[in-house]
Amino acid sequence: MAFNFSLSLTRHLRAAPRSAAKSRAATGWDRHRQRLFALGLAPALVVLAATTLAPAVYLVVTSLTPLTPVNPATAFDFSSPWQNYFSALTDARFLHSLWVQVQLSLVTVTMQLAVGLGLALLLDLPSRLIGALRTGFLLPMVLPPIVVAIVWKVLLTPDVSPLHHSLAAIGMPVHSLITNGGTALWAIAFADTWEWFPFTMLMLLAALQMVPREPIEAATIDGAGSLQMFWYVRLPYIRQALVVTAMFRLIDSIKAFPLIYILTDGGPARATEVTNYFAFIQTFNFSYWGYGSAIATLMVAGVLLLSLAINRLGTDGGVDH
Amino acid sequence: MLKRIGRRELIGGGAAAASLLVLPGKAPAQGGGKPLAGVELNVSCWSGAYPKYLTDYIPEFEKATGAKVIYETPSFPIYNQRMDVELSTGSSTYDVINVTFIYIGRWISAGWVTPLDDFIKDPKKTPADWGADDFLEGVASQFHDKQGRLYGIPWIADIYMAGTPRNDLVQKFGGLPDTLEKLEAMLKAAGKLPDMASFLTENHYGWTFIGYLQSFGGNVFRNPPEDLMPVLDTPEAIAAADYYGNLLRTYGPDGVLSYVYDQVTQTLKQGKALYTTDNEMFLVQLAAKDSKVADTCGFSVFPSGAKGWFPQLATHGWGIPAGSTKKDAAWEFIKWAMSKELTQRMFEEKNYSSVARRSVIESPDFKKALTINNFDIGKMYVDTIQRAGAGYMKYRTVPVYPQVDREIDAAIQAIVSQQKSAKEAMQTAQANAIDQIKRSGVKL
Amino acid sequence: MAALTINMPTPARRRTHHRRALRRLAVQVFAIVLLIVTLAPLLWMVQMSFHPSTDVLSLTLVHPTLENYAALWTGRFPASFGNSLVASSVSTALALLTGVPAAYSLSRWRFRARRKVALWILATRMAPPIAFTIPFFLAYRYLHLFDTVTGLIIIYLTFNVPLVVWTMRAFFDGVPHALEEAAWTDGCDIWQAFWRITLPLSVPGLAATTILCFILSWNDFFFALILTRTKAMTAPVAIVNFMQYEGWEWGKIAAAGTLVMLPVVAFTFLVRAYLIQGLMAGGVKE
Repeated sequence: MAFNFSLSLTRHLRAAPRSAAKSRAATGWDRHRQRLFALGLAPALVVLAATTLAPAVYLVVTSLTPLTPVNPATAFDFSSPWQNYFSALTDARFLHSLWVQVQLSLVTVTMQLAVGLGLALLLDLPSRLIGALRTGFLLPMVLPPIVVAIVWKVLLTPDVSPLHHSLAAIGMPVHSLITNGGTALWAIAFADTWEWFPFTMLMLLAALQMVPREPIEAATIDGAGSLQMFWYVRLPYIRQALVVTAMFRLIDSIKAFPLIYILTDGGPARATEVTNYFAFIQTFNFSYWGYGSAIATLMVAGVLLLSLAINRLGTDGGVDH
Repeated sequence: MLKRIGRRELIGGGAAAASLLVLPGKAPAQGGGKPLAGVELNVSCWSGAYPKYLTDYIPEFEKATGAKVIYETPSFPIYNQRMDVELSTGSSTYDVINVTFIYIGRWISAGWVTPLDDFIKDPKKTPADWGADDFLEGVASQFHDKQGRLYGIPWIADIYMAGTPRNDLVQKFGGLPDTLEKLEAMLKAAGKLPDMASFLTENHYGWTFIGYLQSFGGNVFRNPPEDLMPVLDTPEAIAAADYYGNLLRTYGPDGVLSYVYDQVTQTLKQGKALYTTDNEMFLVQLAAKDSKVADTCGFSVFPSGAKGWFPQLATHGWGIPAGSTKKDAAWEFIKWAMSKELTQRMFEEKNYSSVARRSVIESPDFKKALTINNFDIGKMYVDTIQRAGAGYMKYRTVPVYPQVDREIDAAIQAIVSQQKSAKEAMQTAQANAIDQIKRSGVKL
Repeated sequence: MAALTINMPTPARRRTHHRRALRRLAVQVFAIVLLIVTLAPLLWMVQMSFHPSTDVLSLTLVHPTLENYAALWTGRFPASFGNSLVASSVSTALALLTGVPAAYSLSRWRFRARRKVALWILATRMAPPIAFTIPFFLAYRYLHLFDTVTGLIIIYLTFNVPLVVWTMRAFFDGVPHALEEAAWTDGCDIWQAFWRITLPLSVPGLAATTILCFILSWNDFFFALILTRTKAMTAPVAIVNFMQYEGWEWGKIAAAGTLVMLPVVAFTFLVRAYLIQGLMAGGVKE
């Protein structure tokens, strides 16, 4: 069953032709059917419109004002609508946060893919034991992210961390990683990877297990080594899954919050202040709602563009529905 | 009768909306019943020593008045952030709140807190002997707006001083320093101590650093509150930042940037740091019963610098949000919490000495209790409060200080973690501070 | 005699067979070790919760104690658990009610705006939470939904409904049309056929989706942090409130963390097969 479902995802993205629709004229019965379908779709659309479209509009409108509750008159001040955007593009901290975001996303997604792929390759073995162990591997990613943050707060606080203490005991003391500008972001990426490598691993494992037998057997007979086997035989088949997995993890990395909130508060000296966190501080610490809205709008636009770009890159011809 | 809302009632839209209707302000005095029977008061304050001690006394208030007090004490940054958001929406969630010192200017000028003068002047609400003018002038005046209306009743006159859990060791290295120069020399002499950091402060640098800044001749703003142009990149400011950052980096514990005030207090009580400049409210806990260092702790005023003596003074006070619907009940709470009797009791029973009531400070027991290991902290307290009246503390009641505070935090973090030199860090802070001030609509 | 010699494995083949068996064993052992290493940080936190606060660092449980848990059960922590439970369950139920029919329509009905709708749903899942929080915060102020469980239920729909639609659609796509079409030609209404035929076949998918929605809602931190204060505070936020309240008493923090993750862990074990399928379908996460 699992194979079918991961396949269906890749099917969504590949321009696979569906079987021809039945050649039935648009009869009254058809229209009746369409109405029934529409009825089924409607509630969800209404809910989504109310909870996503309306807020989106509100967000954009707010981003055109300098809204800050300290001065209620600002709520309807449309005198310089692009002020916030202009501000953002010249705001050194905003630009810095973009750079931090790029770094974090690249590092954490690469790590998650690398670790996930490596482990998937190693565990690609039909085995009941490994199947049973999968549940255990699920745990880091189903945990509440705040619990993950606490776990790593413990591990990264020199006073109470068994890691720090045991390293010091064997004569290789490591200094606090989350208060060091050079290592703070790596520490967060590492914790994030711990949390999410099960996802990439399971996705890629499923993809690997769907690679057809014939090419592998043929390559074995031809005397291919493991590396060649991977590169020339397996990789093409799992490329789709790799792209999809990377895309999901990339989009998610932009939402990173609890780890930063608990471990570093964006520090030290903003070394881990990603765009999401920067927006949070501007909006909820200083009540710059207008400015925060503008940054949020820019983020959404960025994410949408990014997913469109990856979609186009990873598939041939875009999404088919 | 108003009853406590259970969470079951929150299921379902209509029920939820109905059950969250705001409760009426004044509780009807049901003949012979308690004055605040059935009233639910929401009180919030950050987790300082006094607010924590108050928890033990609240049942008395509840018993006497019949009110139910829902009391929460989140940590300092969380409290400030949430209360700021809360007040900005004019919400009625809270009835009694702490007016935090770095937010006083912001909250008062935005009209988010209620003036308390009417409550005080009304003899029906406040008896004459409650002693509204018993509060230290230098501290109470922080809660006035430009017209002189009062917005907070101070529960603390928190002086910034210096202390050590191990005075025995400090004596070996030159004794408690009275100048910043001697401080550095002392730390250098102490060198690397086994299982102990030499220097430690909490990481709210927008508070802990300013004393150093001003002692070097620098300041935050050019001439607050009129001239709010930041002056964080002057040579003096840079020199001060360099000095302070260097102390933390060289003599601080591993991960010093993550030490919040609670952690600092714990660390000191366990004798794991040699010297600190910290709030009196935390330092006196070194002499507490559960402290390992009660016998070896030592205290002094904040050291002076090349340009003079600038010990910092903070104050927090109880206030009433503008949106509260139970202001009379809220005032009853404040009146009780800040009464002479309770203040005196708290001093006697909990050893809480950072009080703002002159009558308590001038009592003979105060001096006695605040003499620890032959250190006359009472005198340090009074001297600092007097000195702080000179006006150099005006920077922190400026409405835009919270934003500048965060810039100073970032600058010191950058210096300690060596991501920037002192010059770069302070110049960045200066640029960002100007940016933030402009964004708040202030003309520079 | 001849038969025997034909069937006996040659030495070379036996060696290969041994090598493969050894490799198999090695991989399995590695998998177990890997699992232990992966879960070690988690287990460390759990064992910390049983230490008295004066002794959190030691490896040995000299004095195992439940005092941390006992301390948690006063104050607002139990109420926050209730809030989490209500918000997660109700939001999941509502999402299923609206999302499952929509997923079916999307799966079976080829209408013009189909691709746009699918893209919209995908976009919703991709938007960072802060894009929702700002307008919701401002709106909830006026609607008096701030700090209410109802408010949380509504905002959780922003990720639950797309999740249900996306995941169930993938499951429905995997159910062959033929059965339904047979029912249609027999005169069955679409939704009757759906109810009688498709839905029973999709129970694994439904189970997976339900669990996923519940877990996502339970795990939410950001929305609850911003949109609740005291009355509607959820369990994850309660830990943070609590963390800094108690001044870094690690034993209690560990206990709080353990309690908050228990429901999720329990669910994961109970429905693991469905969960893995659900995660694979549509490549969902969160």
